[in-house]
Amino acid sequence: MTIRILLVDDHPIVRQGLKTLLEGRSGWQVVGEASDGVEAVQKAKDLRPDVMVLDVTMPRMNGLEACRVIRHQSPQLEILFVTQHDSPQMMREALDVGARGYVVKSNAARDLLEAVEAVSQHRVFTALHGGNLASSH
Amino acid sequence: MKLRILLADDHEIVRRGLRALLEKHEGWEICGEAGDGREAIDKAIQLTPDVVILDVGMPNLNGLDTTRQLLQLNPQSKIIVLTITDSDQVIREALDAGARGFVLKSDAARDLVSAVEALQSKRMFFTPRVNDLVLAGFLDKGHTISANEAPKLPTLTAREREITQLLAEGNSSKEVASLLNLSTKTVETHRSNIMRKLSFHSIRDLVVYAIKNNLIQIDVPPQSKTTAGSSAA
Repeated sequence: MTIRILLVDDHPIVRQGLKTLLEGRSGWQVVGEASDGVEAVQKAKDLRPDVMVLDVTMPRMNGLEACRVIRHQSPQLEILFVTQHDSPQMMREALDVGARGYVVKSNAARDLLEAVEAVSQHRVFTALHGGNLASSH
Repeated sequence: MKLRILLADDHEIVRRGLRALLEKHEGWEICGEAGDGREAIDKAIQLTPDVVILDVGMPNLNGLDTTRQLLQLNPQSKIIVLTITDSDQVIREALDAGARGFVLKSDAARDLVSAVEALQSKRMFFTPRVNDLVLAGFLDKGHTISANEAPKLPTLTAREREITQLLAEGNSSKEVASLLNLSTKTVETHRSNIMRKLSFHSIRDLVVYAIKNNLIQIDVPPQSKTTAGSSAA
């Protein structure tokens, strides 16, 4: 299955790690990268990816605000948050602004591939670090 | 022989990014990875890497304490610390702990290769924001120098300056003695005199002094023209 992915994180080294993991899957392609929310909004419009992997804490425009804008602008694009914030409250907020998935960075290597696959099929995928099992529905 | 690098960060995704960045460099290999400070120490003992890259914020044993312990085990360890914060306190602690390189995670893609190259050549490395803070911190300690004033070199003899440089470059007293064909006891006497003359209390003070007075060279990458990234505290 082909999935076109846009990576958004203000740390290039994190984007590199995500890219290395994602492009190991046959048919998955990282079509672009952005380092803040403003750039993410523009690239979502220009590149029309299937999935956006999005950090929360970023300069200029944070991930939650970017998600709100992008879901309005590109409703077909599914958003997966990959974030340091291992917080049920933050996760709820992310889902409230229209994200389909939420994964914690400390477990990204474990959860990311399954999460991207799930959200690309419009299924919700959430996984916090603190003992919670990943859930997909 | 390849330069062997040990990576320690609690985020596997970050280690993957670091590995992808560093393995592009011909002649370098990632000999191991660790997810916390204690594992980093075990792996360092087992693998004897040439360079260790340590995240500051790791569980079980943080990067700064790991630095101290690694240097106790092997004073020749070459350690680069990676951190998300460039606070004055973290910088001072990293230098006090004995790290030879300090790189912000947000700048790692730009600076880490240069940092490893610097340590490989026995030089230190700080990202530009850290370098400015290191120098400012030295001035804040009361060693103010105006634009027209010469550095405080005359208080040290030529031999003392020589020894200051070698110590600031990370050589032990024994190594300095070997390089200068002196006894270790003589070097240690000089070292005590240097610290007393300059009113220094730690090797960090000596390092900052050596940088400020151009006794040692550090690699500082050119400033990026863009200002992406979170603002410094």
